[in-house]
Amino acid sequence: MRNVGIIGIGYTPVFVSKRKDVSIVEMISEAVDAGLKNTGLAPEDIDAYVFGNMATFEGVNMPHLWATEHMHARGKPIMRFATGGTIGMAAFHGAYYHVASGMADIAMAVTYEKHSEGDAQVGLMGIITPELMAMLSAGIDVTGQSGMGAIGGGSAGGISFQASSYLHRSGAGIEHIDAIAAMERRNAAKNPYAHLKDPEATAEKIAQTPMVSWPIRFGHICPTTDGATVCILASEEKAAKIADKVAWVLGVANCASDATTANLIDSQITDPAEQLPAIMASKKACERAGIEDPKKEIDYVEIYNGFAHQTLMYLEKVGMCEVGEAHKLLEAGELEMNGRCPVNASGGVVSTNSIGTSALNRVTECALQIMGQAGEHQVEKEVHKAMAHGWGGLMQYCTITILGDKPKKL
Amino acid sequence: MEETKVVTGAWELSTFKFNIEGRGLQLMLKHMKDRKLMGIKCHQCGTVYLPGPFYCRKCHIRIDEPAEVSDHGQVMTFTIGYADVRGNPLDEPRIAPIVKLDGCDSWIMGVMQGCAPEDVHVGMRVKVHWAEETTGSLQDMQYFVPE
Amino acid sequence: MEKKVAIAGFRIAAAPDLETTRERLVFDLSKGLLDDLGITRDAVDNFVFCSNDFMDGRTISHVFIGPAAGGYMKDQTKVEMDGLNAMIYASMGIISGQYDVTMVVALSLTGSQASPYLYTDYSLDPTYDRQLKLLNELSAAALEARSYLTAGGYPEELLDVVAAQDLKNAAANPGQARRIDGVSRERIKGSPYYYEPLRELHCYPPTDGGCAMLLVSEKKAKELTDKPVWLLGMGRSTDIYYLGDRDLSTSLSAAQAAERAYAMAGIKDPASELDLAEIMSLFAHQEPLLAEAMGLLEKGKAAAAYEAGDTAVEGRMPINPSGGPLGAHPICATGLIRAAEAARQLRGEAGENQVKKAGVALAHGQDGVCAQQSAVVILGT
Ligand SMILES: [Zn+2]
Repeated sequence: MRNVGIIGIGYTPVFVSKRKDVSIVEMISEAVDAGLKNTGLAPEDIDAYVFGNMATFEGVNMPHLWATEHMHARGKPIMRFATGGTIGMAAFHGAYYHVASGMADIAMAVTYEKHSEGDAQVGLMGIITPELMAMLSAGIDVTGQSGMGAIGGGSAGGISFQASSYLHRSGAGIEHIDAIAAMERRNAAKNPYAHLKDPEATAEKIAQTPMVSWPIRFGHICPTTDGATVCILASEEKAAKIADKVAWVLGVANCASDATTANLIDSQITDPAEQLPAIMASKKACERAGIEDPKKEIDYVEIYNGFAHQTLMYLEKVGMCEVGEAHKLLEAGELEMNGRCPVNASGGVVSTNSIGTSALNRVTECALQIMGQAGEHQVEKEVHKAMAHGWGGLMQYCTITILGDKPKKL
Repeated sequence: MEETKVVTGAWELSTFKFNIEGRGLQLMLKHMKDRKLMGIKCHQCGTVYLPGPFYCRKCHIRIDEPAEVSDHGQVMTFTIGYADVRGNPLDEPRIAPIVKLDGCDSWIMGVMQGCAPEDVHVGMRVKVHWAEETTGSLQDMQYFVPE
Repeated sequence: MEKKVAIAGFRIAAAPDLETTRERLVFDLSKGLLDDLGITRDAVDNFVFCSNDFMDGRTISHVFIGPAAGGYMKDQTKVEMDGLNAMIYASMGIISGQYDVTMVVALSLTGSQASPYLYTDYSLDPTYDRQLKLLNELSAAALEARSYLTAGGYPEELLDVVAAQDLKNAAANPGQARRIDGVSRERIKGSPYYYEPLRELHCYPPTDGGCAMLLVSEKKAKELTDKPVWLLGMGRSTDIYYLGDRDLSTSLSAAQAAERAYAMAGIKDPASELDLAEIMSLFAHQEPLLAEAMGLLEKGKAAAAYEAGDTAVEGRMPINPSGGPLGAHPICATGLIRAAEAARQLRGEAGENQVKKAGVALAHGQDGVCAQQSAVVILGT
C-alpha cells in the first residue's frame, strides 16, 4: 500500500438552490477548473478521473460521458460510481484506490448535483418503486391511512423513525436536535460554500419551524442544493513535488447491512438508529489508520447529516463519544468550533446538500481543517487527524475516511 | 444574471416491467384471510422474517420454512406525520409505529389508532386490529391499537 | 505486471428472459460461485457491484442486491458502467494490499424488464441530442458502421461475415442467450434493417443476465484454485461525447485503453502475442473496428482476415470465440462476461469453442455511444 494525499480541492463558486446561469456540464467544469487552479496543475497532469452523482435525480444516465470534455478528460480513464448519499465518498475512495494501487499518480474525484433540474422526492421514492407497486397490488394504501406496511412517515419518511428511535435510546430530547441544527446553520454562515446560513440561528428559532413528522421539524432538514466539488489526490512522491500542504489519507472503509425501513416485500429487520454499518466502518477505518481510540486521537469530525439528529447519533456510532453522550457534549458547548470535539464547522449537510458532493465535502472539509485553510470556519484547536463520515441508500450504508497531517508509516 | 433556456424531460417508469419476489408476501396474504400472520424462518440461525424473503441475509442460504407469528407486539419506534411527501399539511396528525410482533425478528410498519399522539411511546404493547371481513389483502390488518 | 490478482472463479447467466428477480439472480450467481469454490460469504472481504439505476428502474439500485450477494455487513461499493470497470476497480483494491478476496457482481434484466435502448436514450445530452430525437443507440451505431465500411473500403457484406462467425460460436456456447442453429450469412442478410446498414442479426439481442466473478490475491489464489487466471495488464480511456468531434471509423478509446494494457503486460506485438480476444462489440461492425483499433487486425485488411478464417476459433487470431455480445448483452455485465469467457478459454474449459493454445487473452468492455469509453484487460495463465 502506498501513501496517498489530498493535494487540492475545487468548489463551484456558490452552493445555492438554483444555478440558472449554467448547465449541468458547465457547473461541473467550474469545480474542475477551480481544482486545477488551486493546485497549479494542468489537465495533462491528471492521470485518472473518478465521477459520482445521483443520476436519477436529474434524469441523465452516465453523465460523465456528456461531461468528458468539460472535465478535460478526453484520452483519460474515467470511472463512475453510484452508491446513493455516500456517492461523494465512494468516488473519493475510488480515486484513493486508483493512486494506492499505482494505477494513477494523480487522480481527480468529480462530484455534482443540480437538484434544480430534477425532482429529488421522485428520485428517492424511486428506490422502492417496484416494491411499492407490488404492495399497491396487495392492498396497501399509499395515503398511509390504514393497512400494514403503510408509509406513515410522510416527507421525512424513514428518517423520522430513526430520529425517534435515537431519542428514545440515547436519552436526548427534541430540543437537542433544535440546538445542533442551530449550531450548524451558524457555522454555515462562516463558510462561503454553504447554502443555508443563519448567523443568528438559535434552538428557539428552529423550534418554531413546523413539525413535519415527529420528531423531525422543517428546521432539521437539509435543503436541495446545486453545486459541484472536486478533490485531487496524489501519491506521496508526486505530492512532495506539487503541494505545500497535504492532508494524508490514513484509512478508508465502508460497510452495508440491509435496507432498514423500506424493504417492504422482504421485511425490514434492523433498527434504523442501530447503524451497525457506521460502527463497523469506523472500526475498520480506524484499524487501517492505526487509530486505537478515536475519542482521544481524532481532533475533528465531519458527519453526513441530511437531518440534524444525525450529527449527534453518528458521533456516538463512529466512536467519538459513548452512547447517550453526544447531546451532553452539545450542551457543554464541546461540539462548537471552539470546543473540544468540534464537528461540522462547515455547516454540514443539513445546511448544504447537493447530494453527489455531500459525502465528498465531508472529506474536503476535513482536509481544509488539517491544512489550516478553512478560513473563517477554521476550528480553534489544532487538527492533526480528522474523520469524515457518509451515509446513504436506505440508511443501510456507511462510509468513513480518516485523514492526517502526516503520512502513514509504511 | 443571464437566464438559460429550460428544456423538459421525463424518466418514464411506465416503460419498466418489474419482476419482484412474491412468495413471502403471497404466503402472508393467504393466511391473513384467517387472521394469521405467516412468516418464514431460517433453519440455520432461527431468524423469523415477516413477510418472508427467499434467503437469509445473515446466512446467505435459501429458506422456506413457514413460521406463524403473533398479532401482538411492541412499538420499537414511531413517528407522527404532519405533512405528506410533498410537504402539504395533513388534516390531522397520523401515528405511524414500527412494531416487532411477538415471535418475529423483523419489524413491520403500520398506522395506529385508539391512542392520542402524546401517549405513544417506544416499548408500548400493541395488537393488530383486523378488518370486519378479511379478504387476503394488506387491508385486512387495518391498524394497530394499544393492547 | 507481477502476478498479484487472479480470477479464482466465475458464473455467467444469460437468456432473453431469465424469469427471475434481480435479487434471486444475484443470489444464484454469487452463491453458485461460492459453492463452486467450496467457500462461504465469510471468506469474501469486499464486494463490487455493477448495475445501472436507469436500467433497474430504481434509484440506488444496489441497495437490495448487497445482502443477496452475501455482502451483509461487508465492504461494498457500486461501479455504474460496464462491468469490466468493476473488475478493474476490484483489482485495484487487491493490488493496493487492502483486500484479498473480492466478489464482483454485474447484472441487468434488459431482456424482460426494460428496453435496453433506454440506457442510451437517457445518457444523451438532455439539452440538445435528446431534444432533437435523431440520435439513439442504433442510429449512432449505423453512422459508425457506415464510417468504418467507407474508410476501410469494405463491402456491406462484411457485417454478415462477422455476424455469421459470432452467431455460429454463440450457438455452441451454452452461456449465450441468442443461439441459432445452422445460422448462415444468407439468413443474416435476410433479417430486417434496423438502421441501414445494420440489420437485426448485426445487433445485440436484448438480454437478461449477469456475471459473478471472484478476484483474489496471489496468496489466496493458491488456496482457492488449481487454475488461476492472472491479471497481467489493464487500461482504460475515454473519447469526447459529441460524435461530430470523433473519427467514427476507428476507436480512440479502444486504441488508448489497449495501448496502456499492453504496456502494463509487456506486450509489444499484440497480434502475435495474444492467443484470443473477447471484444465487447455490440454491433457486427464494431468487432473488426475495435480489433483494428487495438492492433489485433491490420487496418484495412479485416475483411480478408475474416474470409481467411483468421478470426475463427481455429484461426490465427480468434476473436469472440464465445460468440461475443451478438449472443448476449446484459448491460453492465457484458464486459465482465468477456473477461470470464477469456478466463474460460485460458482454463481450457470452453468445450466446442476451445482455442487450441490459449495462454494470453484480451478482454474489452465499452460504455457510451460508439464506444466513447473502453476498458481492456490482459489475462494469462
Ligand atoms: Zn439465517
